[in-house]
Amino acid sequence: MGSKQPFEFRASFIELDEGLEVLHTSVERLRQAMGRTVDDRPLMLFETALGEIGSNVLTHGRPPGTEMPVDYVLRFEGGVVEASLTDSGAPVHEHLKREMPAHESERGRGLAMARSLLDELGYRRDGDVNRWRLVKRL
Amino acid sequence: MALDVQTRQTDGGIIVLAATGRLDVAGAPALKDAVSEAAKNGSSRVVIDMEGISFVDSTGLGSVISALKQIRGSQGDLRLAAPNQQVRVVLELTTLDRVFPYYATVEEALTGF
Repeated sequence: MGSKQPFEFRASFIELDEGLEVLHTSVERLRQAMGRTVDDRPLMLFETALGEIGSNVLTHGRPPGTEMPVDYVLRFEGGVVEASLTDSGAPVHEHLKREMPAHESERGRGLAMARSLLDELGYRRDGDVNRWRLVKRL
Repeated sequence: MALDVQTRQTDGGIIVLAATGRLDVAGAPALKDAVSEAAKNGSSRVVIDMEGISFVDSTGLGSVISALKQIRGSQGDLRLAAPNQQVRVVLELTTLDRVFPYYATVEEALTGF
């Protein structure tokens, strides 16, 4: 399949390990579908951002006691890759503008990294769920 | 893919931690455990062989920062060897390449350490 053909991957997951594996598998399938190599820089940058948002969602997006899975869709069309993640965690508005922390900090880089790696990082609270949208032109 | 960490000691007494897998939120504890074990045994010079690390995220990076603090806290030092392109990009993006000297190979990291 050439890069002009649309691509779509859908999954729902609950566990951290399972979810991370699915996210990386989906990018690998897109990479193969597009005929790109593991060193393809735009796709590698997108996968890095997806790993950051995905791990945040999987870590914080499933409050104790909830059975709600994380819903995930990866699409590629017209030269643009877009991922959406939906979780049932608490609202995260206050974290969105977080800047890159000092070198000695061991945490808090994920959102700043994702913002700088993507063309667009969208977030909105929709009722009881968080909806994330990650967009990058490849 | 869980992170696997193999520990060996060179003739010169340097600890080499060879990690394989993804150094991410799921894999970071394995690296932290290996570094803590090395520090507990009094090792002051540690090289993390990253050749087998396919992907790093900010939590994985945090475990490397934690390792650096722990080792430097006991007057030692840490070097990174053989990071792939994705790991180098993350180090540069976070400007942590200014904090961590990284080397193309383990042999280069061991030279003069």
